[in-house]
Amino acid sequence: MSEVKSKSREHWFGIRKDLAPGRRTLLTVCSFGIPLLVWVTVSYVPFIWHPDIKLEISADRDGVTTVFTAGDRVSKEFFPTFVEAVRQENRKVLDARVKNNPHFVSRRENIKRLRHLAPLGVANGWLKNNERQNDEKIFNLWKQLAEGELASRAISLSQENLEIIEENWILLSKASPTFNLKLYPTEALLKLIPQGISSNPVYLPAPHEVINAGWLDFNTVPENGMPTMWERYRHSLNIIFWGFAYSCLLGIPLAILCGSFDFFSKLHEPFVDFFRYMPAPTFSVLFVAFLGTADAPKIMLVFVGTFFQLVLVIANTTRLLENSLIEAAQTLGAKRRQLLGRIILPGILPNLYNDLRILLGWAWTWLVIAELIGEKTGLTGFIDTQGTRYNFDRVFPVIILIGLTGFFTDRLLNWLRYLFFPWTEEVRQAPKGLLTRLLLSSTDRTTYFK
Amino acid sequence: MKIQSIFLPFFLSLLSLYFFSCGGTPPEATETEEAEEEVAATESEPTEPETESEPESEPEATPEPETESTPLKIAYSDWPGWVAWEIGIQKNWFEEAGVDVEFLWFDYVASMDAYVAGQVDAVCMTNGDALVTGATGKPSVGIIVNDYSNGNDMVVAKPGIDSVADLKGKTVGVEEGFVCHLLLLKALEENNMSADDITVVNTPTDETPQVLASGSVDAIAAWQPNSGQALKSLPGSKPIFTSADAPGIIYDLLCVSSESLEANKEDWAKVVAVWYKIVDYLMDEANMDDALKILSARVSLEPAEYEPFFKGTKILTLEEALKFWAKGDGLDSVYGSTDIVDDFNVKFEVYEEPLDTGKYLDPSLTKAYAETSK
Repeated sequence: MSEVKSKSREHWFGIRKDLAPGRRTLLTVCSFGIPLLVWVTVSYVPFIWHPDIKLEISADRDGVTTVFTAGDRVSKEFFPTFVEAVRQENRKVLDARVKNNPHFVSRRENIKRLRHLAPLGVANGWLKNNERQNDEKIFNLWKQLAEGELASRAISLSQENLEIIEENWILLSKASPTFNLKLYPTEALLKLIPQGISSNPVYLPAPHEVINAGWLDFNTVPENGMPTMWERYRHSLNIIFWGFAYSCLLGIPLAILCGSFDFFSKLHEPFVDFFRYMPAPTFSVLFVAFLGTADAPKIMLVFVGTFFQLVLVIANTTRLLENSLIEAAQTLGAKRRQLLGRIILPGILPNLYNDLRILLGWAWTWLVIAELIGEKTGLTGFIDTQGTRYNFDRVFPVIILIGLTGFFTDRLLNWLRYLFFPWTEEVRQAPKGLLTRLLLSSTDRTTYFK
Repeated sequence: MKIQSIFLPFFLSLLSLYFFSCGGTPPEATETEEAEEEVAATESEPTEPETESEPESEPEATPEPETESTPLKIAYSDWPGWVAWEIGIQKNWFEEAGVDVEFLWFDYVASMDAYVAGQVDAVCMTNGDALVTGATGKPSVGIIVNDYSNGNDMVVAKPGIDSVADLKGKTVGVEEGFVCHLLLLKALEENNMSADDITVVNTPTDETPQVLASGSVDAIAAWQPNSGQALKSLPGSKPIFTSADAPGIIYDLLCVSSESLEANKEDWAKVVAVWYKIVDYLMDEANMDDALKILSARVSLEPAEYEPFFKGTKILTLEEALKFWAKGDGLDSVYGSTDIVDDFNVKFEVYEEPLDTGKYLDPSLTKAYAETSK
C-alpha cells in the first residue's frame, strides 16, 4: 500500500521523470487556468484593487480641456471633484432659471447634453451601438425615462439624475412634445451628474470588457472603406510569411554551406555575427527610403530581424551532425555533392525544422515594429491607434489573437513533425494519439497499424 | 528510409516555390549572391513547376519619377486638422474635382521620414517641422494653411506645479526638435526663462502620458491625443501652457515638394479647391455630426470621443486663411510665425543656419482660388 503511495508521489515530482498523460493534460490546463483565474479574481472581486471609477454616465465641464466620456476611468480621489463641478454648473442654471433670467446655449450644446444618456441606452439594450447619435431615439429615451415607462436595469440611475431627467423633460416637451430637432430649446438643459462603478485602472480591463470589445471590433465592417480586423490580420500574416520566407530562402542554404564548409563559415559568419547585433528597427528610415512606404520595408524589417539569427543558429545545427555519418558515407565513396544532399541535409532536417519553429516566433516580434514603418497597417496599426487613446479593452483582443496564432502555429508545426520525421528518436518514443497514428498510416501503413 | 527519400524532393520543391514566387528579391540579394549560386549548384534535382502558380502577393513599391498618370501622394497623420481631409476622401470630392490623389496614413514622424525619402509628394506638417525637415532633410513648400493649434498642444505638469515659472530646475519630457519642443521653449521665453532652466528628457510623443504618470519627469509637452491622455492618466495634472496661450505659434500646413508643385501645379490647385469645400462643410454646424463621424472613423473611435480633440484646433476659413497669409512680423501671420520659429530653431541649435523662410511658403494657389471663387 505504502509502495503505491510513494510511487504516485514520485509521479508528481520525480526529477527527470515524465508524468502520466492524464496529469500532463491537467497541468497544461492549469498553466492557462491559473493566469486566467488571477485575472478574473482581480477584476471581479471587489476590495482587492479597484482604485478607479469607471464612468457610466459622463458630463462635459465648462471651460475644462479634459473631457471624460463614458467608459473612461478616473481615480477615486478625483471623482468627487468631477461630480461636484457638474453639480455646481447645474445649480447655476437652476438659479438663473429661478431668477427668470435663464441661461441660453447653442442648440448643439443641448443636443450633446441629451446624448450623455446614450451609453445608458446602449447598456440596457435600448439603443444599438451605432445609434449613440440617433437623436430621435435619444429623445424618446428621455421621454420614457421621465414618464416612468422605462427603468434602467443595467445602470441604476441615482435619484439626483432621475430628477434631472424629469426636469429636462419638462423643458424639452414644452418646446415640442414630439421629436423635432429644429424645435429643441436653446435654454440651457441640466447636465446629468456623472455616475460610475468602481473598477481597475484602464490598463487592466475585466475579461468581459475585453471579450465585448473584441467581439465588436471583429464583427464590425468600417463604413469608410478601412480594412476590417480580419483583413488587418491577413495583412499581418502576409508580412510575416514573406519576411520569414525570404529569410529561409536565403538563410537556410547559406547556413548549411557555412556549417559544412569552413570556407563559407569564415567568409560569412563573422560579418553575420556582427550584423545581428545592429538593431533592425534603426534601419527603418533607410528601408522606407529605398523600398517605399507600402509592404516592402515591413517585409524587409522582418527579414533583417530573422535572417542573421537564422544563419548562425542553423549553421551551428549543421555542425552538430555526427561526424561518423559523414565518415561512413565517405568510406562508401560518397562525393561532396552526395554528402551534402544525401547525408547532411537529411541528417539535420529534424533539428533545422525545430530551429525554424523558434525563429518564427522571432518574426512575430519584429512584425510589431515593422507595421509602424511607412504606412501604419495591419494589427499593429490598430493597436497603436487605440493604445495612444488608452482603449486597452480594444487592444487586448488583438494581442491575444497574435498570441493564439503563434501558439497554435507552433503546436501544428510540432505535431507535423510526426509526419515529416517519423524516424527520429524523439518522435518514435513519444506517445501517439489516434489522430497521429492515422496520419502516419497514410504514409506507411505497415509500421503503425499492425 | 522510404519517407526520407520522399521528403528531400518535397523540401527542395518547397524551396523552389520560394524562388519562383518571389521573383523580385529585395536588394539584400547582393550580399548573399554567391551563396545563392552555390545553392543552385547543389540542388540540381528537378523541381516541380506546379508551384509556380502561387500568386505574387507582395506589392512592389517602386517609386517612379512623376508623370501625369501617377496620383499625387499625400502623407497625413493623426491630427484633427489633417484628418479633416478624410471628408474629401469619403465624399469623393477629389474625383469630382478631377484630381487623382492618394492619401497615405502615417505616424506623424514617419510621415516626415517618408517625405524626406521622396516616397510621397506632400506631407501634412506644422510650419515649424517643415523648417526642421527642410534644414535636415528635404525642403518643401506650404500651400495650404489648414488650421492653427488652439489648445491641443500643451505643456502638462504634475500636481504641485501651477505655472511655467515653477518649472525652474525641473525635468520635462518632450520629443526634441519637434513642434512641442518649440512650444515648451516659447513658454520658457514668455516667462523670462531659458532652456538651461529645465532639463529636457527626450521622449517620444506617444509615450509622454506614461512617462508623466510614472513620475520620472515633472512635466511633458505633447499634442492631442497624447496631451489629453496625460491629463487623464495623472489626476490633478494640468496644462500650464497651451498653444491657445500663443496662438499662431503652430500652424498646420500641407507641404508639397517643390518638384511636384512645379510639375503638377494645376492638380495642386484642385486640391486647394477641395480643401476649401471641406472647410465650408465643416463651418456649418448642422454637418458637425456627420463630419465627426467621418473623422472619428478614421481612427476607429466613437464620434463623441473624438469631439474634444477637434475643439483645440481652429480650422481656418478661406477669409481667415488669407488674413494669416498676409506678410507680417507677428504670430498672426504665417510668415511672421515661421520667421519666429526659424529664429528659435537657430537659437536652440535645432539647426545651425537661418533658413530662407519665404521659400517654404506659397500662398499663390490659395489666393488664386479666392479669386475664382469670388
